Amino acid sequence: MVFGTHRALDSLTLEVPPGITGLVGANGAGKTTFMSIVLGLRTPTNGSVSVLGLDPLRQGAELRANVGYGPERNVFPDDMPASDFVKHLAEVRGMPRSEARSRASDALWLVGLGEERFRALGTMSTGQRQRVKLAQAIAADPSLVLLDEPTDGLDPVQRDEMLALIRQISSEYQIDVMLSSHLLEEVERICDNVVALDAGQLVAQGPLRELVGDVEGVTVELTEIDDVPGSVESVVARLTAAGLRVTREPDANRMDVLGASADLIADAVRDAVADSSARVRRIEQRRRRLEDLFEVGAS
Amino acid sequence: MTTDGSAQILDRGYRRFDGRRSGVGGAIRSTAWHTTRSVLGLGRKARHKIAPVLVIVVAMLPAVVFIGLAVLLGGDEFVNDVLEGIVPLYSELARQSIAAMILFTGLVAPEALVRDRRDGMLSLYLSTPLTRRTYLGAKVLSVSGLMALIVLVPTVVYLLGMTFASLGPDGVGDWVVVLIRILVSGVLASIIYALISLGAASLTDRRAFASLAVVLTMLGALIVVQILVEAADQSIQWRMLDPVNMPMEMISRIFGDAGQYPEIPTERVYAANAGWAGSSAAVLWARYRSAGA
Repeated sequence: MVFGTHRALDSLTLEVPPGITGLVGANGAGKTTFMSIVLGLRTPTNGSVSVLGLDPLRQGAELRANVGYGPERNVFPDDMPASDFVKHLAEVRGMPRSEARSRASDALWLVGLGEERFRALGTMSTGQRQRVKLAQAIAADPSLVLLDEPTDGLDPVQRDEMLALIRQISSEYQIDVMLSSHLLEEVERICDNVVALDAGQLVAQGPLRELVGDVEGVTVELTEIDDVPGSVESVVARLTAAGLRVTREPDANRMDVLGASADLIADAVRDAVADSSARVRRIEQRRRRLEDLFEVGAS
Repeated sequence: MTTDGSAQILDRGYRRFDGRRSGVGGAIRSTAWHTTRSVLGLGRKARHKIAPVLVIVVAMLPAVVFIGLAVLLGGDEFVNDVLEGIVPLYSELARQSIAAMILFTGLVAPEALVRDRRDGMLSLYLSTPLTRRTYLGAKVLSVSGLMALIVLVPTVVYLLGMTFASLGPDGVGDWVVVLIRILVSGVLASIIYALISLGAASLTDRRAFASLAVVLTMLGALIVVQILVEAADQSIQWRMLDPVNMPMEMISRIFGDAGQYPEIPTERVYAANAGWAGSSAAVLWARYRSAGA
């Protein structure tokens, strides 16, 4: 996807399976452009797209009737009651009027705004507005819901509740969800699949359990006490001498130790630390996180 | 109502929908109706209803006054002859809705576009079966529908009132011809005014500036043409650039009247109106071609 001389998405080839998919990347990574292409609002410079078996460009209206969308922008008609807002968008997505009314009410109950459904949107808190966005996205019984930064502006408790709602939508109502987020931690918490973008390039894609989780080796973080300078270097030297591979940033106290089972490495670390008079701050099974995908991509 | 204690509150949960969706047509209808309600201030605070009510009063006033005159004074043959000389032709009554039209295009119609842009609703609409083209179609449908009511309702009421006061067209045939002319001219003029209003309002996201843009477009062009023709003594053909009077001139020609500017040939009047409609639609499309994605 090219805008003038700027290449917003480049050589993107991917297939997204059902479930919750996290679209991750920094601002400007191409997440919003990707969503626009999925909705058929932008035409890729070349290549093809298929969503729910439909071509977004040629069958856009049919596709979008089956897709719910929660935009990032948090601005609504302030003087409109939440129920009218959700009902109207359900109607625009093809629901008959009476069905739209009852589904709007149901959707607002499901997101926890049943008692507040007749309140004007302008009087609602940021958390309530995010819930209204979710309600309007699911009210017309979509097969797929696209959510752009759905936890933006929420406090930790509200964020947990929102993530639980999204999980519920996927697991209980069988609606596939694609959520865009720059918060990798929340994607790790609820997503089944990940699409990681960086500067328009695909960094990684696949099931979350294959991209993150426990990997070979142990992560060790040491502390050097003042009266034993060089103790961390000594630990590294002892581990290397024992036939283990140690990777660390220069002068860093955190290192990854590989080359044996986790138990053997832990024993070797214990002995090396005891002989070098360093102190252990943390020792744990080495784990790959989403941010590691971006480091690999950058390197 | 049950009295045996068997009543229950049921959690319906989330229900799948396996009925038929209304598609693009339903999306346009729903958006047009929602826009109409919004523009008229229905379901909104009282201050949003002031301008629409003002427009309705201004639009209905001439028809009510002339019907009142005919009903109160008519009946006697001599008085009817005098009244026939006083009461306006149907095309003239339509022309008298010009004040209401300008009020509507300036104060009320911009709300149809500006509110969605200001509230971020455009990106939501484009995530539905609507496209930019069908979205704008719904807006034009809503605004031109309301404008048609402003022109048509007073004129049709006037036709009925005059008919009941024995001052209407002679015979059923003439009566039907007048009604068809009222409907055709009203609908065409409404579409032209709606496009001019929406085209000018699309230039800004601020309601006040949008109103200003509409008024400047309409009255600005009118004043320039007035100066050219009246003060600079230029050709009357410059009147074709007047967006306020050209739709009204078209109404006169549809009724077969000479109109206010008989020197301008009828085909040029139609061409001028087509030009205003086309250029306004082009501005509107240029502003929305890449908006909201």
